[in-house]
Amino acid sequence: MIFADATPDRWAALGQFLREDWPLLLPLALGFLAVYLLMPQAQKSWKIPGAALGALALVLVGTILIQHDFLLIEGALFYAFAGIAILAGGMMVTQRNPVHSALSFALVVLSTCGLFLLLGAPFLMAATIIVYAGAIVVTFLFVIMLAQQAGLSSADQRTREPFLACLAGFVLIAALVGVLHKNYDTSEFDRLLDRVQRVSRAKTSAEAMVVLGDPGVLPDGKGTLELVDQLHKYFQTDRLKSLAREDSASKPEKEREGMERELVLGYQDLLADLEQAWFARELPVMVSLATKIHRVGIRLRPYIGMLSPPTGLPMSNLSGAPANAPMVGDATGRGVERLPAANVAAIGRSLFTDYLIAVELAAMLLLVATIGAIVIAGRRTEELR
Amino acid sequence: MTPLTLENYLIVGAILFALGLVGFLARRNLILMFLSAEMMLQGVALNLVAFSRYRGNLGGQVLTLFIITVAACEAAIALALILMLYRRRKSLDVSLWQDLREAGQERIGDDEPLPPPPTEAPLPHLAPAGAEPVQPKQEESHV
Repeated sequence: MIFADATPDRWAALGQFLREDWPLLLPLALGFLAVYLLMPQAQKSWKIPGAALGALALVLVGTILIQHDFLLIEGALFYAFAGIAILAGGMMVTQRNPVHSALSFALVVLSTCGLFLLLGAPFLMAATIIVYAGAIVVTFLFVIMLAQQAGLSSADQRTREPFLACLAGFVLIAALVGVLHKNYDTSEFDRLLDRVQRVSRAKTSAEAMVVLGDPGVLPDGKGTLELVDQLHKYFQTDRLKSLAREDSASKPEKEREGMERELVLGYQDLLADLEQAWFARELPVMVSLATKIHRVGIRLRPYIGMLSPPTGLPMSNLSGAPANAPMVGDATGRGVERLPAANVAAIGRSLFTDYLIAVELAAMLLLVATIGAIVIAGRRTEELR
Repeated sequence: MTPLTLENYLIVGAILFALGLVGFLARRNLILMFLSAEMMLQGVALNLVAFSRYRGNLGGQVLTLFIITVAACEAAIALALILMLYRRRKSLDVSLWQDLREAGQERIGDDEPLPPPPTEAPLPHLAPAGAEPVQPKQEESHV
């Protein structure tokens, strides 16, 4: 947590953040420079160095963020779509010609639709393409009708305060990415799980002791196992503590929560047992416990960084699992896919049960917008009449 | 061997949002400002859909549907307004509307003059060369 302990000395915390997360901030700084240099400015033109810096920033982001399994087609598609979206977004902001900007925006929308498809939202993909296709065609008409009459205008050749605008945008990205990284990053937990796995594969007692440390080294023979300590820390969150004790509200939830509570309590028991086996230096017990801990740890992994409302609240389950239902990971460590396969039918049910008032408000909004657009644009000036 | 996580999608959404913010703050063309705002909405929609997927709740997708609705309304109103503004000033430059600024604010001027527009190379002037071709005599009618 960077902000939890930021109050006593903010500058120290900021310095720590810069020291620890500079690999994330470096491509952001390069991207900042690239966008700043590529922004249309009246006198200078830095197209080639700007484009080179932007490409370098994208490559750096790729090498840092692509730690995932690239062989999965999902991973490859994700990185392709995300890369195209970011590249086209940067181009949209920096193009001088508004027609090129509109084209880049179309590319952004298309690649976002690809990401929607990867996220299991085919209906939204189709809806976005249809709506934005219309919007972009109309925008095109406007650009051709209004902006192209007298060639490139002064509005396209100059930008307002490009440095400050880029600074604001990239400080925002750095803050968001930093917070996301601190909260959602599971690489530390993965490293701990890797050590557990190494113990579970140990052939001799000595091998396990290399990973776990030697209990004989402790001064008075008492103490805690450092690995177990760190693994304990991960599930001290309020969410899981409440899981471990609270009673559930509704009946079907009770079953799932019971399973969850068992999982968390089992995890803590297993850790305690592992510690004891470590003191006793019983290798077979340690190996079997480590295997179990690894399995449970992978199932608990999606909990890290998940914020959710307290489990006691009664919440609608018409749009899928309630937001306060616990999330169970499967054996590969990813969340169980609980979205229904019939996407359109499920969205329809959700719209007309949970969000009925919102649907009516949206219909009202569309009507008002239609009337407003007609009234605003339909007004004729005297000389045109 | 770690699969994609929620974090990946949230980062892409954050980057799209911030790029849209940069565009909205820096660009002066009204239509480009409108497109930048739409791109910010795309970033938010991506976030919502990702949460929907990883929480197993369709609420995020339904909210994205409402975002699309609002974006359509915004497009209709914004383009109508842009049309009106264009009729008044004959330009899409948002800096021409500085008289709407808050009282007591300085007027922002363009400090750097634009480079002169590239002069078009004059069209080649062909000098008449050679003798003028003799027009064939019109044949008289033999009829």
